[in-house]
Amino acid sequence: MSGAARSARQWRAASAGNGVLFVLIALLIALTLGMAQLEPLFRALFPDLGNPLYARDSFLNLMLAHIGLVLVSSLISVTIGIAAGLFVTRPVGREFEPMVSSLAAIGQTFPPAAVLAIAVPLAGFGFAPTIIALSLYGLLPVIQNTIAGLGTVPQTTLEAARGNGMSRWQILRRVELPLAMRVIIAGIRVSVIINIGTATIGSTVGAKSLGTPLIAGLVGNNLAYVIQGALLVGLLAIVTDLLFERLERRYSFGGQA
Amino acid sequence: MIELQGLTKTYAGKNVVEDVSMTLETGEFGVLIGPSGCGKSTTLKMINRLVPLSSGRIILNGDDVTELPAEQLRRRIGYAIQSTGLFPHWSVARNIATVPQLLKWSKSRIDDRVDELMAMFHLDPAEFRHKYPHQLSGGQAQRVGVARALAADPEVLLMDEPFGAVDPITREALQAEMRRVHGQTGKTIVFVTHDMDEALQLATRIALLNNGRLVQYDRPIEMMVKPADDFVREFFGQADLGLKLLSRRWVHQYQRPPSLTHHATLPGLDHCWRLDEAGRPIVLEGARLDDQHQHTDVRSEWIATPEMSMKEALSRMVWYRVMVLPVVDETGKLVGEVGMQGIMGIESNGGLHAGGPAS
Amino acid sequence: MALPERRRWVGNRVLATLLIAAVASVVLLPFASLSPNRLVSGQPVMLWQALAGWQLAAFALIGLLLLVAALAGPLPRRLALWLSLGATLPLLALDLQALGAYAHGALADASPAARVSQGATFWILLFASALIAIDALQRLRLGPAGRALYGVAALAVIGVCFSGELLSPLSIMREFANQRDNFIDQLVRHLLLVGGALLPALLVGLPLGLLANRRARLRNGLFSVLNVFQTLPSIAVFGLLIAPLSALGRAVPWLGELGVSGIGVAPAIIALVLYSLLPIVRNTYSGLAGVSTGALEAARGMGMTPRQILWRVEIPLALPVILSGLRIVTVQAIGLVVVAALIGAGGFGTFIFQGLGQYAIDLVLLGAIPTIVLAVIADFALQILVSLSRPSGTR
Repeated sequence: MSGAARSARQWRAASAGNGVLFVLIALLIALTLGMAQLEPLFRALFPDLGNPLYARDSFLNLMLAHIGLVLVSSLISVTIGIAAGLFVTRPVGREFEPMVSSLAAIGQTFPPAAVLAIAVPLAGFGFAPTIIALSLYGLLPVIQNTIAGLGTVPQTTLEAARGNGMSRWQILRRVELPLAMRVIIAGIRVSVIINIGTATIGSTVGAKSLGTPLIAGLVGNNLAYVIQGALLVGLLAIVTDLLFERLERRYSFGGQA
Repeated sequence: MIELQGLTKTYAGKNVVEDVSMTLETGEFGVLIGPSGCGKSTTLKMINRLVPLSSGRIILNGDDVTELPAEQLRRRIGYAIQSTGLFPHWSVARNIATVPQLLKWSKSRIDDRVDELMAMFHLDPAEFRHKYPHQLSGGQAQRVGVARALAADPEVLLMDEPFGAVDPITREALQAEMRRVHGQTGKTIVFVTHDMDEALQLATRIALLNNGRLVQYDRPIEMMVKPADDFVREFFGQADLGLKLLSRRWVHQYQRPPSLTHHATLPGLDHCWRLDEAGRPIVLEGARLDDQHQHTDVRSEWIATPEMSMKEALSRMVWYRVMVLPVVDETGKLVGEVGMQGIMGIESNGGLHAGGPAS
Repeated sequence: MALPERRRWVGNRVLATLLIAAVASVVLLPFASLSPNRLVSGQPVMLWQALAGWQLAAFALIGLLLLVAALAGPLPRRLALWLSLGATLPLLALDLQALGAYAHGALADASPAARVSQGATFWILLFASALIAIDALQRLRLGPAGRALYGVAALAVIGVCFSGELLSPLSIMREFANQRDNFIDQLVRHLLLVGGALLPALLVGLPLGLLANRRARLRNGLFSVLNVFQTLPSIAVFGLLIAPLSALGRAVPWLGELGVSGIGVAPAIIALVLYSLLPIVRNTYSGLAGVSTGALEAARGMGMTPRQILWRVEIPLALPVILSGLRIVTVQAIGLVVVAALIGAGGFGTFIFQGLGQYAIDLVLLGAIPTIVLAVIADFALQILVSLSRPSGTR
C-alpha cells in the first residue's frame, strides 16, 4: 500500500463524517425494504416496460442472500488467509513465505470473473462455485496484507517485547497483531469489496444475489431491473467500504504504518 | 563581485529578512551564520531567487540582475546543497554536466570540463564517471555536488549548509578541500552554516544574522575582537570548540625536542632553555610576548608534563605570558617543550587562514 | 542456536509439500474425463488408466528426481535446485503429451460427439510444475535474464505441444476450432477495449495526478470521488450507465451514429476509464510526491525551467511508480472487460457467459483461460517495463 493511498484515505476519513454514512445506511435499508413503493416512479421512467419492478423475489431476500454469500466466503478467506499469513511469518513456515507471497501476487492478476467461471467445472452451478471462487480470490489480499502488516512491525519493538520476557504467543497477541491490524484490515477490506462485486456476477453461475435482477434485466432488456439491482449493490459496496474505513482508522496508532 | 542591496523578504506581513545589504569582493569567501530561523538560508536563496525578493537589488559584477529571468540568473550562479540534491537517476558525470547541458555546451567541452572538475575534487574519472549517487559515500556525493555547482564556471557559488548531513570527520576533510578549491579557483562564495567552527575554518568574511537582520558583517578576526553588540559577543562566545578539543588532547601529542641553542631562523620566536646539572630547566631565554630577549626563571607553576591536557598547557601559556612550556619527566628532567606554534600547527590555524585577504 | 538441531531429512520443504500434493492428486483425483457429448459431464479417468507404460514410468522417474532434490542429504543445495528447475520442463511436457495421447486413443473408436476434457490432476500437475519452478527460481536468486530464459523455455515446450495435432482432440481445442475466427475477433476486441479504455484514462489521469501533486486542496475531493468508482461493483457501473447513455444516444443523433448507446462499447469504455482513473492518478501523484525535495531544489537552483524540471527530473524519477499504476489498471481492465460482455461489449467474456448459459464448460474455459493468460502476460510484461524504467541510479 502506498503512503499516498493511506493518506488519501485519511483525508477522506476527515471529510466523510458520520452524517454521510448514516444517510447511506438509511438509504440502503429504505431501498431494500421499500423498492416496491417506488414502482410508480419506475413506471413513469420506463413507460415501455410491462414489469418495471423486479418481483420474482423480494429485494430483502436478495440482499440477505448477497450478504450471506459475501459473509460466508469472507469468513473463510479471512480465517485461512490470516492463518496462512501467520504460518509463513513464523520460524516454522518461513521457508514457504516467498512462494506464498508470489502466489498471492500472481493470483490477484487473475480476473475475478474468470476465477468464478473456472470454479464451475470444479463445483457445478449454484451457491458452491460462487463460495469457492469468492473465498479463493478473497484469500489473496488477506494473505498479502497479513504478511505485509506483520512485516511492518519494527524489529526493535519485537526485541523490546522479547527483552521484557514475553512469550512468542504473547508477542503475537499483544504486539504483532495489534500493530499489524490496520494493514490486515485493509486487506480484508479489499477482499470484501471485490467479493461484493464478484457475488453480483455470481448470479450468472446460478447463485442468488443482488446481481440476479441486474443480470435478468440485462438479458431481458429491462433497464428498470438493472437499475434496481445496481443501485442496491452499489450502495452496499459503498456502505461496507465506509464501515471498513472507520474500522481501519481505529487501528492506526499515530499514523504508524 | 556581488552586491546585495536592501534585500527584504516578507511572508504574511512579517519580515523574515529585513534590509540585508552587503558586498562581497571577487574571491572572497562569505559565510552567512546565525541562530536557526535568523533568515540566513532565505537570504542565500534570495540571491538566486529560489525565494523571490520582496524588495531589494542584486548586483552581479556590476550588472543589475534583479530583473533578469530567474533561470538565466541561476545559470550564472552555482548552487550546492546537501548531497540529497544530486539527481539519483543520473550518473556522476551527467550530474556534473547539468548546467553545461542547460547552456548547450558542446559534448567534448562538457566532457573535458567534467574530467577537469573530477580531477580537482580527487575523484578518479575512470572510477566515478559512471557511478550513480547511491553508490557514493557521503563525502564523495558532497564533492560531486560542489563540482556540479562549479561546472559552468559560475560567477558566484552559493552553498546552503552543504556539509550538514555528513559525519564530523568527513566534514573536516570537506572543509579542508573547500578551502583548497577556493584557493585554486578564486571563486566568490556565499556559504550558509549554523556551525561556528565551520565558519571560522572557511570564511574571509562573516555575516552574522539575527531575526532577519544583518547584525555585523566583517572579517572573522574583527568579529571576535570588535563585536558590534552583545549578541555578536555571545554568539562568538559559543566558539570555544577549539578549546573543548584541546581538553581532549595531551601534551605528549604536541611535544617536540627542546631548543637548547638559539635559532636565528625563527625571528621573534627564538628561544632556548638553560638547564642545571640534573638536566632540569631553570631559565628560559626569549619566548616572552612582551620582551623577546628577557631571561625568565622557570617556575614550577608553568612546567608541563607529558600527561597534562593541552587545554591546561595553553591556559598556563596564556596566564604566564610565555610562548613555550618546558615538558619534564618524573625526575624533573627536561624532555621536550610545547608551544603556541605546536598548537596552531597541528590542530588548525584557528580560522585565520592562510592566503585569504583577511588574515 | 545453542541446541543441536535435529537432523533434517527434508532439505526443501516447499518442494516436498508440492510433491506430496501432486502425488495425492494423482491418487485421488481424475486426470481427464470422457463424455459422450459436449454438454453432459463426463466419466472420470484416473492417471494410471489414461497412460501408457512408458508415460507412467516417465512420471515416476520425474517424481523420483524431485524427491531426491527435496531431500537434505543426497545432493548439494544448488544442484538440487537446478535439478528441480530442470525437471519442471519435462513434467510440463509430459502432462500435456499424456493428455493429448490419451485423447487420441480414447476418441479413436468413439462417436464423433464424444469429448475428452482435462481433469483436476492435469491442472494440479501443471500448477505444481509452475510452483516448483517459481520456488527454484527464487531460491537460486536468478536475475531477470535467467527468469526470462526459463520463461521462454517453458513457453517453447507449451508451443511445441500446441503446434501439432497432439492436443486437437481435446474438447476445449475443439471448441476453439469451432470458434477459431470468432476467437481471434474476441481477442482483438478484448484488447481494443482494454486499450480504448487505458488511452483516455492515461490522457486524463496523468494530468490529474500532476494537478493533485501541485494543488493540495484538490487532492481530497479528487481521491474520494475516484475511490467511489473503485468501490462500486463493475457490473453495477455498467448497468447504471446504460440508461443515461441510451438516452444520450437517442437525444443526440450524431452521437448515436458514433455508437454511443446504452449497451455495447460506449458504457464499457466509460466504466473502464472511471475504474482506471484512481490507480493512475494516485500513482502519478505519489510518484511525483516521492521525488526528493533536495533534487527539486537543486534543479531549480541550477536554473532549470519548470518544464525542464518536470521532464528531466520529476517524470524520470516518478516513472516507475506511474508505470506500476499502469500495470494495476491494465490487469484490472483485462478482468473487467470480461464482465463488460454482459452488456454486449464483446471480448472473451462472451465465451464465458455463452458457455455458462449453455452449460458448456469447455466454452467457459475457452473464455476464462485466455483471459487469465492475457492478464498474467500483461502483468509480467509491465513488471519488466517497471523495472526497466527504474533509473539505474535508484537501486
